[in-house]
Amino acid sequence: MENNVLNRYVEELATRVNGEVEESFGVLILKVKAASVTETLKEAKNFPDAPCDFLHDLCGVDTTEHFEVVYQLASLHGPQRLRVKAMVDRENPVIDSVTPIWEGANFLEREAYDMFGIIFKGHPNLKRIYLWDDFEGYPMRKDYVTEPIEVRDVVRKRIEGE
Amino acid sequence: MTVEKTEELIMNMGPQHPSMHGLFRMVVHVEGETITKIIPKMGYLHRGMEKLAESRTYSQFIPYTDRLDYLASPHNNWGYVQTVEKLMGVEVPERAEYLRVIFGELARIASHQVFIASTALDLAGWTLWSYAFRDRERILDMYEMTAGNRMTVNIMRIGGMLAEPPEEFWTALKSFLDDTPEMLEEYYGMFFGNEIAQGRLKNVGILTKELAENLSITGPVLRASGVDYDVRKAEPYSIYDRFDFKVPVLTGCDSYDRTIIRMDEIVESIKIIKQAIRDIPGGPIMAKVPKVIKPPVGEVYHRVENPKGELGFYIKSDGTTKPSRVRIRPATFINIQMLPIVAKGLKIQDIVAIFATLDAVLGEVDK
Repeated sequence: MENNVLNRYVEELATRVNGEVEESFGVLILKVKAASVTETLKEAKNFPDAPCDFLHDLCGVDTTEHFEVVYQLASLHGPQRLRVKAMVDRENPVIDSVTPIWEGANFLEREAYDMFGIIFKGHPNLKRIYLWDDFEGYPMRKDYVTEPIEVRDVVRKRIEGE
Repeated sequence: MTVEKTEELIMNMGPQHPSMHGLFRMVVHVEGETITKIIPKMGYLHRGMEKLAESRTYSQFIPYTDRLDYLASPHNNWGYVQTVEKLMGVEVPERAEYLRVIFGELARIASHQVFIASTALDLAGWTLWSYAFRDRERILDMYEMTAGNRMTVNIMRIGGMLAEPPEEFWTALKSFLDDTPEMLEEYYGMFFGNEIAQGRLKNVGILTKELAENLSITGPVLRASGVDYDVRKAEPYSIYDRFDFKVPVLTGCDSYDRTIIRMDEIVESIKIIKQAIRDIPGGPIMAKVPKVIKPPVGEVYHRVENPKGELGFYIKSDGTTKPSRVRIRPATFINIQMLPIVAKGLKIQDIVAIFATLDAVLGEVDK
């Protein structure tokens, strides 16, 4: 019953922001462009009967073609859940910050910036959170080389030598 | 006439400060004794778990989850293996589900006992520290009987449990459950009933309901702010819908209620374990799972109620033996965000009280 209401709202929203709707394990997934993320999330937060007003998680994903920022929405007052995925360009990874909507996105966006290099426009303090400020590269990207090749070669030679 | 003003002082707390529960550092700006700004700094324990997961198979990642919230490691195992099971569509045997509940709730009690001990210690209640740790030792012994490990137990497997608990486990468990109400009375009488302790905790660090919801706070911290939300009730995972238990909710919004709510939760955990012991069926503890775990292409987000808050796993599979993305939603990492907001304008001693009642574990904050 509740789910039908949410279904309708999400479908309506998807046509308005030009997004796609999918379903996976009983949770609706709404894929949108990075430009319309603020509008989408503001609307999702204020769905009249099924507000998805609790930002449960925010994370970056690298699909090798583009980055995704995944928002897990839920509510503390109902069973509704929604996953919003915003596509971010790999060459120019810029997206609006959702800190004006949920203050709790602060650290989560900093983490996504730290790990993927996604720039959140309008974030109050967009700095690396886990790694040090001079760290080069963004380690969670798929093209990040995890160990220096020279080290790997030295280790391999030693193993093969024995 | 010039107005005399105290010079603003920048002070570092941590990473090696005893009240920081690990390697957490904050840069505190103070005017006299009053806090004007707090900048939390983390990452001293960052191990890059999410990146490590991408080069490990699904089963190989289970021991890593132990090292997240190392005070309640069975719970982290549980969250991870359930996510993979959901993705693969594995049915876990009844007995294994009951054993998972027993170990999960034992972990909750153990974690809350450490919370009680460390909160007391942070507020200079040295005696209670050793009492609570003495009692927690009995739970660690029970872990050791079953899994062989004491802290990072690594007790769950995809599809079931590592091992059947031995006979002496059940006698140890029953005697532990019988003694727990007395322990709680002791904790309260020894420290939290004390006027000085209450003076340090009451009306300190007020986290209103609206702010808590806006900051994505979860777990006991949220429930101490008057929000009745527990994943075990709201979205029952495993077999939690079969047990009769209450979710303690307090409306004080302060550090004192955040402490007392943990004591209430221990009482409810005892209830759950007692029911589980009563109802546990016989049978196998492992489902038939293929040797090589290869979930179908897809993605799933699953969350469990950790003692510290909601622990979420978002796993994306590309159909190979290694996950393409594992996202860990650490509860205390998000809960820590309240610290700079609520501590503003308070005194330096209050930081310690607020940080203690957040119950942050740096293994989870830093991943």
